[in-house]
Amino acid sequence: MPDWGALVEQRLAGLALEPEERAEVIAEVAAHLEDICEAMLRQGKTEDEAVRRALSKAGDWQDLQRKILTAKRREQIMKKRVWQLWIPGFLTLILSMVFLTVVYRLGLRARLVWSGPNEILLYMPWLAGLPFFGALGAYISSRAGGSRTTVLFVSVFPAFALAFAFLMMFPIGLTIERIMGRPVDFSLVAPVLLKDGIGWLLVPGAVLLGGGLLAHLLLSTRSSSRDAAIG
Amino acid sequence: MIAHGIKRGTAELAVLSVLEDGPLHGYEMARRIEELTHGSLRFTLASLYPLLYRLEKRGWVSGAWETSRTGRRRRCYRLTSEGKKKLAPIRREWAELFRALKRLTKVSHA
Repeated sequence: MPDWGALVEQRLAGLALEPEERAEVIAEVAAHLEDICEAMLRQGKTEDEAVRRALSKAGDWQDLQRKILTAKRREQIMKKRVWQLWIPGFLTLILSMVFLTVVYRLGLRARLVWSGPNEILLYMPWLAGLPFFGALGAYISSRAGGSRTTVLFVSVFPAFALAFAFLMMFPIGLTIERIMGRPVDFSLVAPVLLKDGIGWLLVPGAVLLGGGLLAHLLLSTRSSSRDAAIG
Repeated sequence: MIAHGIKRGTAELAVLSVLEDGPLHGYEMARRIEELTHGSLRFTLASLYPLLYRLEKRGWVSGAWETSRTGRRRRCYRLTSEGKKKLAPIRREWAELFRALKRLTKVSHA
C-alpha cells in the first residue's frame, strides 16, 4: 500500500492553511483514499488498480484544494471583513449624517468660504465634528484587526458613500432633464459639481481622514510601546 | 444519476440526514449516502469535505479524531444540537419543494 499521506500532501501542496489545520486535512483525505483503496481490494482488484481508482475518485486535485481553501477561509474572511470594514464604515457614515442633521436642526448654518463666482459653502459645525467620527471608525476597525489601508478607508467611508451618491445622482439628473426636454448646460453644471464636490466630499473626506490618521497613529504608538514593554 | 446542479442543493440535507443516525467519518458517510440513494447521490472528495468543513464552521456538525479497534485514526463527524435544529426546517423546505414540483410537473413519484 502506498503512503497515502505523502501522496495527498504532494497533490495538495498549495493548500495554504495553518500547519496544524493543513496536516489534519491531508490526514483526513488520505484516510478516505485508503478506505476506498481497501474497498477496491476487497472487490478483487489488484493493488495497482485499486490505488489508481482511489486516486481517480479524488477527481481534480486543484479543484479539491481550491474548494477546501474556500470552505475553510471564506466565512472567516467574511466575518473579518464585516467587523473591520462594513460595521465601522457604516457606523461612521450614520453618525456623520445624524450629526449633520442635529447641527442643522440646532440652527447652525454653513459658512461661506471664497466669495464671488467661486464661492464654496462649508458646513463648519459639521466639519468640526467629523474628525471624531473618522477617529471612531478607525479605532473600531483597528481593534478588529483591520490593516492600515482598511482603517483609513473606514475613516473616510462617509466621503466615499457621498461620492457614490453624487455619481449616481448625476446620470439620473441628466436623464430626467433630457426627458423633460431641458438641455443641460455643462458650463453651469460643471462649476456647481466642482463646488459641491469640494464642499461635501473633498474637505469632509480630508477632515475625516485627519481624524482617522490621528487615531491610527495613537493606536500604533500605543501598541508599539506595549510590545516594547513586553519585549 | 441526478444532474450536478440539483445535487448540489441536496448535499447539506443528505449529510445532515445520515449523521442523524450516528457519527460517521467521511468515507462511511459517502458510502452510506450512495447506498441509501441507490447510487443517485455520489459524493466526490471535492464535494464532501468542503461541505463538511462549512457545516463544521457553522456549528451544525462537529468533527473529532477517533481511533478504531484496528488502531486506525479517522475523523468522525457528529450532528450537533444546532445541526439537529437546522435539519427539521431544511427537511420541510425540501418536502415542500418536492410537493410543488410534483404538482407542477405531474410527476407521480417526485
